[in-house]
Amino acid sequence: MIRTKLATALMTIMLAAGAPGISHADKSDDTVVIAFSRELTKLDYNYGVKTEYIILGDLVDDSLFYVDPKTLDYVPSLASGYKIVDDLTVDIDLREDVTFHDGSPFSADDVVYTFDFIAGDGENSRHAKVSDWMKSIEKTGDHSVRINLNYPYANLFNDLYRVRVRQNGVMGEPGDYDPNAQITELNGLGPYKVVSFDPGVEVVLERHEDYFGGPKGRPPIKNMVIRSIPDLGTQQAELMSGGIHWMYNVSEDVGEAMARSGRADYQLGPSLRVGFLVLDAGGYTGEGNPLTKVEVRRAMNHAINRESIAKNLVGGPAQAIDTACNPVVFGCIQDVAKYEYDPEKAKELLTEAGYPEGFDLELWSYRDRDIAQAIASDLGKVGINVDLKHVKLDALNKARKDRKIRAYFGTWGSTASPDVSTIANIHWRDPESGDRNLSGDPEVTEWMLGGEQTLDREKRLELYTKGLQRIADQAYWVPLHTYSEGVLSSSEINFKTDPDGYPRLWTIEWK
Amino acid sequence: MFRFLAGRLMVAAAVAVTLSIVAFFLLNLAVDPAQTIAGEEANALEIEQIRERYGFDRPIAVRYVEWFSNIFKGDFGESYYWHKPVGELVVERLPVTATLALMSICVTVLIAIPLGCAAALKPNSWIDRLSLSVAVSAQAIPNFWLGLMMIILLAVTFPIFPVSGDKSLYHFILPSFVLGASSVPPVMRLMRTGLLDVMNADYIRTTRSKGFFGLRLLTAHAMRNALLPVVSVLAVQLGHKFGGSVITESVFAINGLGRLALESILGADIPTVQMLVFLFALTFLALNLLADLLNAQLDPRLRGQS
Repeated sequence: MIRTKLATALMTIMLAAGAPGISHADKSDDTVVIAFSRELTKLDYNYGVKTEYIILGDLVDDSLFYVDPKTLDYVPSLASGYKIVDDLTVDIDLREDVTFHDGSPFSADDVVYTFDFIAGDGENSRHAKVSDWMKSIEKTGDHSVRINLNYPYANLFNDLYRVRVRQNGVMGEPGDYDPNAQITELNGLGPYKVVSFDPGVEVVLERHEDYFGGPKGRPPIKNMVIRSIPDLGTQQAELMSGGIHWMYNVSEDVGEAMARSGRADYQLGPSLRVGFLVLDAGGYTGEGNPLTKVEVRRAMNHAINRESIAKNLVGGPAQAIDTACNPVVFGCIQDVAKYEYDPEKAKELLTEAGYPEGFDLELWSYRDRDIAQAIASDLGKVGINVDLKHVKLDALNKARKDRKIRAYFGTWGSTASPDVSTIANIHWRDPESGDRNLSGDPEVTEWMLGGEQTLDREKRLELYTKGLQRIADQAYWVPLHTYSEGVLSSSEINFKTDPDGYPRLWTIEWK
Repeated sequence: MFRFLAGRLMVAAAVAVTLSIVAFFLLNLAVDPAQTIAGEEANALEIEQIRERYGFDRPIAVRYVEWFSNIFKGDFGESYYWHKPVGELVVERLPVTATLALMSICVTVLIAIPLGCAAALKPNSWIDRLSLSVAVSAQAIPNFWLGLMMIILLAVTFPIFPVSGDKSLYHFILPSFVLGASSVPPVMRLMRTGLLDVMNADYIRTTRSKGFFGLRLLTAHAMRNALLPVVSVLAVQLGHKFGGSVITESVFAINGLGRLALESILGADIPTVQMLVFLFALTFLALNLLADLLNAQLDPRLRGQS
């Protein structure tokens, strides 16, 4: 009897202590709640590679330049203006009305310090390229700097956008930089400041009331909470119950079903991400490789129904592509050899190449299994018997490094940078310094990487034209499709996706 | 009793060490840690620099010995992914998973024991059939589906419980039910079988003849023997909760060890995965040992076995 009463009392206390009722942050406390599937383990974008860090980085940080979402051009942000003195020298004027989240003023000292430590700690940060092109940076006034380059670098403004400016001295002293200095606490320049950060759980942000505005503008909503919720079904439930206001990476069928319920708005917008097959044309995987024959590679291009994949498996504004880049970015010319979906033509080409009965092929993939399976099915129809190896990205990276992969399904998001150099720099490097270029064609490397080593736009276009035309003509890749980005937002808020598919969360406002 | 305990401890230690060796070798052979740290955009030179800096170019056996010896110094390594000591990560998340595991076992006990007793006391009746149906259903229903259904029903349609999170004990109720449900079938069946055997024993007949009936007969005389196998299964199930909470923690966004394990595996964070494998193994072994000790306490005949 006593034991029963005690147990009941304990349960009551437990529930009472732990049951605060179901309450949600919302318009009444001017707090919007965002859900990410992948966890945030750090605050410092300069040391993070995931898309989520780009999104967070733009909320809490600022850079010298910014990408205008309408035109995809680079516009001054912390910079007030710039002058290209010559191919190796750029003068930048800085805004004088900017403060860090702790209230301290922003000046040229912070910019010089930032680029010096980025160049000095290149092997750790995601901006290793800076140490390659930057010769030096010098303060020419309290609010002006001069950047000296080692060579003409076309992607300069992209890097000036990607590098988030840090406060002078915060990352440590030269030669003794601490890459973890701003990982769990951050003093940034962005429209929101970090109130608290629980790695892998949530980040709580508050509007920086002294934010200068600039091309981003001032955020309408005061408080923002970013929660890590791994399961998309749980995110949907939270959205329906009012626990969150925004989620992304939502497939078309789920998004439309949620929108029909009236509890959420669904947008399926474009993305800079592209999907493609990389083929071992250079024979790096050893003898007897059918993919070394151009007819075989062209046959694979003809065999895959890319329009159908884009329409039925990706959906939204996704489209089939013919080039090794996203058609909307600078340098991605479209005047290249095109391969229409034609399985009969594919079979003819295979016969011509000496494979009338087809051959066996191991195709590796690490995401979008349904698309990989559709590709395998299409190839199977022309006689290429695919053994699909769907693995984690790390396993694929290791196998590629070990030269075990003859063909793989890859994607590239361009890290929100609208220039073909961002995909070229990674995928067409000299094979000695990177394992993604399987073409075995040094001229392609020369052209695709050469395009970022001149500021002359016409010259850049000329080089990319040569490179992309060669890639298409020799079918080193099978360019597949662009991606779409699906976003679900609560009917309490206004949010619009931009042409590059990159979510600018500081634009969210209450209806 | 001391010899019994010593014997069990030696076996447990040997199993734990063997597991740690297998896990270490498999992890380091499956993934290139240098590539993981360097990231997707790194070139071959950068990866080699990292390989040298972190000592990944040394033989795996050498690295294992170093890792194992560091454990005794309290150094469990640094997480590549979370950028903090692995020990700190585990200490932060252990209470969450422990809470979930213990609450789920409570759910199991609260459902399975009464159902098993009712089924045993009224064999082949509607209660017995109902209990069997509950057991079969709970066994068949996937964890993640049950979790999502509970969320839809009790958090969205009827907002009684929170959808996700772990900010209060109230947040643990739904996940505990989901996690505990999967253990109900074996515990219930064992309770039923054990009690059926006991109720037919001579000593129970004697006890009845002395005037003991109903609940008093059940709790004071029959349960003690019937609970022996149940205690062992509950200890094993508790071990499963620690290591098997991955799905439940992911569905309910609970920041425990299961979710840490999943994120670390996906992030190829070898030090954290290695530590978690070792920890889960130790937990499992410790709980099995506890079950053996409890059984030995309940049944002195077992103390002579080792």
